[in-house]
Amino acid sequence: MSRVDPTFLHEIKEYGAVGIEQCFNCGNCTAICPLASDDYPFPRNVIRRIQIGQRDVLRTQLDPWLCYYCGECSATCPKGAEPGETMMAARRWMTARYDWTGLSHKLYTSTTWAIGALIVGALIVLGLAWLLHGPLVTDQVQLNTFAPVEMIHLGDLILAGILSFFLLSGLFRMFVFHFREGGKWKLPPLSVFVTEAWQLVYHTLTQQRFSKCEGRRRWISHLILVFGYGSMFVLIVLFLTWFQTDNIYPIYHPQRWVGYLAALAIIYGASDALLSRIQKKHEMHHYSQLSDWLFPILLILLAVSGLLISAFRYMGLPLATYYIYVAHLVVMMMLYICIGPMGKWAHLLYRPFAVYFQVVKEKAREQSNVTAGALSSAD
Amino acid sequence: MPDNDKLKIAVYTCYCGGNISDVVDCEKVAKAMGSQPDVVVSRTDMSLCSDAGQSQIEQDIRELGVNRVVIGSCAPTLHEVTFRNALIRAGLNPYLYQHVGLREQDSWVHSNDHAGATRKAMHLMKAGIAKARLLHPLEPIRLQAEKQALVIGGGVAGLRAALDIAQQGLRVVLVEKSPFVGGRMAQLEAVFPTHENARDLLRGLIKKVVNHPGIKIYTQAEVMGVAGYVGNYCAQVIQHSRGVTEENAEALLSACQQEVPDEFNYGLTRRKTIYRPYPGCYPPLPAVDWDNYQGEPISLNGGEPIVLEDVPTSVDVNVGAIVVATGFDPYEPRQGEYGYGELKEVVTLPQLIRHLALSKANHALEWNGHPVRDVAFIHCVGSREIEGVDEPHEDGRINNYCSRVCCTATLHTTEELRQHFPGLNIYDLYQDIRTYGRGHEDYYRDALLGGVRFVRYHGEEHPQVTAASAGDTHPVLIRVKDSLTYNEELEIPVDLVVLAVGMQPRQIDKLVNMLKVSRGTDRFLLEVHPKLRPVETAVNGVVLAGTAQGPMNIQESLSAASAAAAKVVALLGRGRVELQPFVAAVDAEKCNGTGACVEICEYEGAIAVQTFTENGKEVKRAVVTPANCSGCGACVAVCPNHAINVQGWTLSQYEAMVDAIASDIPNMAEVA
Repeated sequence: MSRVDPTFLHEIKEYGAVGIEQCFNCGNCTAICPLASDDYPFPRNVIRRIQIGQRDVLRTQLDPWLCYYCGECSATCPKGAEPGETMMAARRWMTARYDWTGLSHKLYTSTTWAIGALIVGALIVLGLAWLLHGPLVTDQVQLNTFAPVEMIHLGDLILAGILSFFLLSGLFRMFVFHFREGGKWKLPPLSVFVTEAWQLVYHTLTQQRFSKCEGRRRWISHLILVFGYGSMFVLIVLFLTWFQTDNIYPIYHPQRWVGYLAALAIIYGASDALLSRIQKKHEMHHYSQLSDWLFPILLILLAVSGLLISAFRYMGLPLATYYIYVAHLVVMMMLYICIGPMGKWAHLLYRPFAVYFQVVKEKAREQSNVTAGALSSAD
Repeated sequence: MPDNDKLKIAVYTCYCGGNISDVVDCEKVAKAMGSQPDVVVSRTDMSLCSDAGQSQIEQDIRELGVNRVVIGSCAPTLHEVTFRNALIRAGLNPYLYQHVGLREQDSWVHSNDHAGATRKAMHLMKAGIAKARLLHPLEPIRLQAEKQALVIGGGVAGLRAALDIAQQGLRVVLVEKSPFVGGRMAQLEAVFPTHENARDLLRGLIKKVVNHPGIKIYTQAEVMGVAGYVGNYCAQVIQHSRGVTEENAEALLSACQQEVPDEFNYGLTRRKTIYRPYPGCYPPLPAVDWDNYQGEPISLNGGEPIVLEDVPTSVDVNVGAIVVATGFDPYEPRQGEYGYGELKEVVTLPQLIRHLALSKANHALEWNGHPVRDVAFIHCVGSREIEGVDEPHEDGRINNYCSRVCCTATLHTTEELRQHFPGLNIYDLYQDIRTYGRGHEDYYRDALLGGVRFVRYHGEEHPQVTAASAGDTHPVLIRVKDSLTYNEELEIPVDLVVLAVGMQPRQIDKLVNMLKVSRGTDRFLLEVHPKLRPVETAVNGVVLAGTAQGPMNIQESLSAASAAAAKVVALLGRGRVELQPFVAAVDAEKCNGTGACVEICEYEGAIAVQTFTENGKEVKRAVVTPANCSGCGACVAVCPNHAINVQGWTLSQYEAMVDAIASDIPNMAEVA
């Protein structure tokens, strides 16, 4: 039994949903969806929860994360209710529910807050650079003198720690929402979590479910972006002392080509998404919120500024290198503050875990069916 | 007719384009019939109903002097009239024709037995010929018809029918039970799909009706009795006094103190027992509500108290046809049905429409002095009830029909609400949305777009409407299993519940018995045929207009009214009515007035025993009034003297047919 709440629909609209009112619950969206199942009958399920105002029900569900927005539902919808966009808005809303600070809600629903976050990010970096930067050696490029790598590495680790704290606390809330019903835990056996853990890694790396969507090109493009971003993230957080160097290496040296490849992968993936949004080529790119624009733009800026650091260093332009380095850090901070753990970036954790939880639940049910079957046959 | 003594029979066996000839060997049948006595010609034809086929019949009558025609073809319902007309064109009495149904009675039902079917065809044709020998010329019954019609009911359908009939030059007597015309439509405000004001629309129609010199309106009047038959009905109309005059009306109106619930506002307000239902009503003169005014003295300007008195007058009107436009009643929910009558926050849709009209000036919707933030509509109340699930009504029946109008009416009302009160949350609890009319689906679309939340319940599990527990945010709580939300039970807290009640037939038992019209299982009046004769009843000269026949919206009611009017005009326009001559006829020589026929007869005024003086002696004899006789033959069966026959279907004709069917066919060996 749950109580209807007509305000929920308006709340979701703040997160970018359009046309939910058009929906007359025919279910064509779910029928056409290559990923929906009996247990996860999205998008119809999600839309209905929103129409009726079942906040508490939607909050517990994985459905929004199991969708990769191929847009087939929106293309098929007889009423133009844009079910795909409602799923997108639901993901934003879910992210805001997992976030306990309330910042996510502000960042998603207020342009002022989002722009403010960008400015704050920039000011933090500029301030720190102003306070902490080393001497500007101008006769040759000495980046590690301007920004000592140990200091930067320490900063990266602190930042990674902060990001992880918010992201993991969000994940914990997701876990609780999903596995706790009416004040009681409904947990699958811990053993299944362990035995199925490989699925988490597998789905994170392959995003195999995404490949079942219409149009595999998007999956590949997204996968390239993920690998580029992931490699760069690992390089910077774990191997910065190797990566940020004043040594001059030949082009075939891994320090150079690994960085270039990762940067190019990011630029390719992010540009593909950005262009698609500009051209509104696909269903899923007809409607774009500020966060949808900022994410690829900031990623491109991040990769381009990173490439420029390298280019200016090899060209022997000391000041240009230092300035673009600061700019690079500014972009990075903007990205993590504005669309980091409280924004679109967070899907990199929530989505694989949603798939993981789904797999675990299915496995647990299979096991209990087997046990039940064995028991009944023993009778 | 030339040489009537000598029978000359023409026999035709139709192929019916293969329908008959694929099974029956028509040529053999024709050949066998050709050798029957008195048959002068026996032909086959691919399609006798075609122009060429009919010309052949006419030619044979003219050139061969044929005086009886027997045709074996389709069912008589299809082409009997066609062939009778061919006889008329050739100068022969159309009742010297016998139709044999070779298709429905033979080829279609014996398609796997060609030889058997051919033999049967011969027997049937032979019987037809045997009857044809005994046919006599008959004349249709021609009755003088009153060029005046009675319209019962002064709602929009009755008004429309009256005007349509009058505009064709016939006179109309319009009888309205209440003191004012306009009916249910006057209680509506803006009506779909045009959003025009119902009373404005009605006013235009009433003005035309009132100003038409051919229409006489009786208000506060009832039809107390009907006698006669098509073309010549006599109706007794009782009219109550208005109770007031032009001179004392206003004074009486203001002096009257006694108040009763106002049925115009479905009991939401009270009115005096001398009243006008609404400004601009017709007739404009107030009337006394005699049901509630019990003779209380009324003091006029401090003068002597006066007591008003109802002095009913009776008028007999002679009419040729009767239009029944008695309309509907909105379903009155049972005590406790969805909380109706128990929770003051539960109202019907008609009540809400009146409430909105009464509180039009308000900026916020209020009920009982409390602001309404959330309102729920429940569809199909008193409609689409399910046997075994819903409790039967007082008469043991359930309303299993769809009232058709409520879906669009409900959605139309939600639109009105959304426009006037933008902050209002509206829930719509439905089974199916049946917005079937042109433009009606737009209301559904607009309701969706406007944020109306639809919840779909199943007729076997009705929503539960209860008072909310103390301290709840809203006074009423609805619990409903929503099939759109995987049959989960939802709680909907609301300030007001609106029941979209259906239509039900009015209490018109007396009238139904008087007119002998039939009712369907849904208790609405029944037409002869739902498709081919949709506004006529089984009683000749009685037609239906509007919701007396079943749930209709205004547009459909008016279509039905105009159709009914067209039927009346077609019937009475010539001033006479022609009926088939197949009615009982008494052989005066055999009849000795036993009266058995009168006793068995089911049709009022069809047969009576009268006393005649013959050669100075008094004799009793049965006399038939052909217009009232249906030709059923019950009297034929009971007459001890075999003095009655149904014309065109006499006992001797039947006997001849039986003999013919039982006798052998000559040359049968050739067939087998």
